[in-house]
Amino acid sequence: MQTLSARIDFTRPDFRLRAHLRLPDSGITAVLGPSGSGKSTLLRLLAGLERPRAGCIRLGEHIWFSRAQAIDRPPSARAIGFMFQHYALFPHLSVAENIGYGLARGRERQRRVAEWIERLELAGLERRRPDALSGGQRQRVALARALAPRPRLLLLDEPFSAVDASLRQSLRLLLQELVSENDTSAILVTHDLEDARQCADRIGVMIAGRVRRLGESAEVLADPGDAEVARVLGWPNTLPVTQWAGDEACGTWGRVRLSRAPARAHEVVALLPDGPRPGAREGLEVEIAQVIEMGAYRALSCRLPDRTPLRLHLPRALPCPARGARTRIAVPPECVIALPARASVRFNHWSPHP
Amino acid sequence: MMVSALQPCAFDAVLLSLRVAAVTLVLFVVSGIGLGYLLTRPFALRGLLDALVSLPLVFPPIAIGFFLLMLLGRHGPLGAPLYAHLGWELVFSFEALVLAAFIAGLPLVVKPVQSAIESSAREMIEASYTLGKGKLETLLRVVIPAIRTSLAAGLTLAVGRAFGEVGITLMLGGNLIGETETLSLAIYNRVIEGDSTCATWLSLLLGGISLSLFFLLRRLGRL
Repeated sequence: MQTLSARIDFTRPDFRLRAHLRLPDSGITAVLGPSGSGKSTLLRLLAGLERPRAGCIRLGEHIWFSRAQAIDRPPSARAIGFMFQHYALFPHLSVAENIGYGLARGRERQRRVAEWIERLELAGLERRRPDALSGGQRQRVALARALAPRPRLLLLDEPFSAVDASLRQSLRLLLQELVSENDTSAILVTHDLEDARQCADRIGVMIAGRVRRLGESAEVLADPGDAEVARVLGWPNTLPVTQWAGDEACGTWGRVRLSRAPARAHEVVALLPDGPRPGAREGLEVEIAQVIEMGAYRALSCRLPDRTPLRLHLPRALPCPARGARTRIAVPPECVIALPARASVRFNHWSPHP
Repeated sequence: MMVSALQPCAFDAVLLSLRVAAVTLVLFVVSGIGLGYLLTRPFALRGLLDALVSLPLVFPPIAIGFFLLMLLGRHGPLGAPLYAHLGWELVFSFEALVLAAFIAGLPLVVKPVQSAIESSAREMIEASYTLGKGKLETLLRVVIPAIRTSLAAGLTLAVGRAFGEVGITLMLGGNLIGETETLSLAIYNRVIEGDSTCATWLSLLLGGISLSLFFLLRRLGRL
């Protein structure tokens, strides 16, 4: 098994990244985090485009970087595929030349390029230059170019950020298929939780230069670990707890019930935005501050009695209270979890047997 | 009429300017790409190197020429050891004319190349590395094709500037008629002598050569 193992210490004048992680040799790992958290820098460090101050990066038996052993393999010797946010296609080369750039010259190259063109439905565009392609076509060329040399590890830096929502869905599926077909593993840096939900086997969360959580997607999404990580993973509502009464958490904002009493008296409860419903007889008292139409649902910005903000998502089919209205919301216990305000950072590793 | 107006010494000046331009063009290509790339990388003395390259844009040429004359002259801190050990006096020579033209035009080629690499070529260079290519192959297959328009624009400006250079050339070259009299200096000398007819033809010739270079290099940049 070619496990990716990395222990990295990297500094810039205004930023420090310290990561310690281990990943298996298959599937997609999505790395989420707020802007400036170091997601792209982590990818660049793994690729050899930035040099750590200290640490060790290895893939299976291949050591890519080791400060102790004075090893620093250049990006060209790491057998990686890297897909850049804006694709970095070579503007003076055709589609076929871009895809074949990383392959050795010869007939084999022509055959492999033809295979990739067919696989990614780029037939008829072989001779076109990148500036004559649509966003989705450019993205497929970039993906084919990164995968054509059969990399051991595929690194993708916000690959879906420059295409519209309808294309994103099909590209996520395509990425999953290609990673599986080519027997490689991929690290996908994204700021979009949907990317992670839909195509990642594992999720990592980076905050302020640290990998704060890493594990199987379902496990991480259900248990973010702490309040800061929870906010990154789509739990926008984190409320401080002043008192616990069995399975009930109390604060200046009101009280909510959990599906079971937590093992420890954590400092925070997190509420999912999708479950709670307004118009209940009992529950949290809120004032509707704003209603925003989001297409399939309405986003309600609410204020709790102590002015703590609360965000809810209400399906369009349900009646929606008007802006300024005071109402109560029923919070299903399964939409609430208890968390520490901030968990200590541990060695983050994937393990098939947690 | 033009031929009769251009005295043999003026022909010499035209040929000398073309020779200087040919040598500096090669130097501009090599140093423009090299320095332009280097100045996009982080290193300790980058600020100083950037300032030195940009200096001729803001510092008066005649003053630069004077300081170089002091530095490289037979008794200068650099010129004296050169003369003592190699018997080579740089000032008032063909090499001095090349150096003058090179210094004057250098920022005009380095800056556009540096800007082109910073704005778009940086990510392409990195993409090439991650696709298994080394530095030389990346330079030849990615960097030069990607920046060719900026390179051609920079070369046009730099060679045009080198052709029209007077201040540094006057100081370093010495304006020796028949030896270090370039086309620009020939115009200056004819005006001083009161030969405005010859000065007019030489000016038209200089303008024509510069425009031809402009169109040629612009065409190369489009290929």
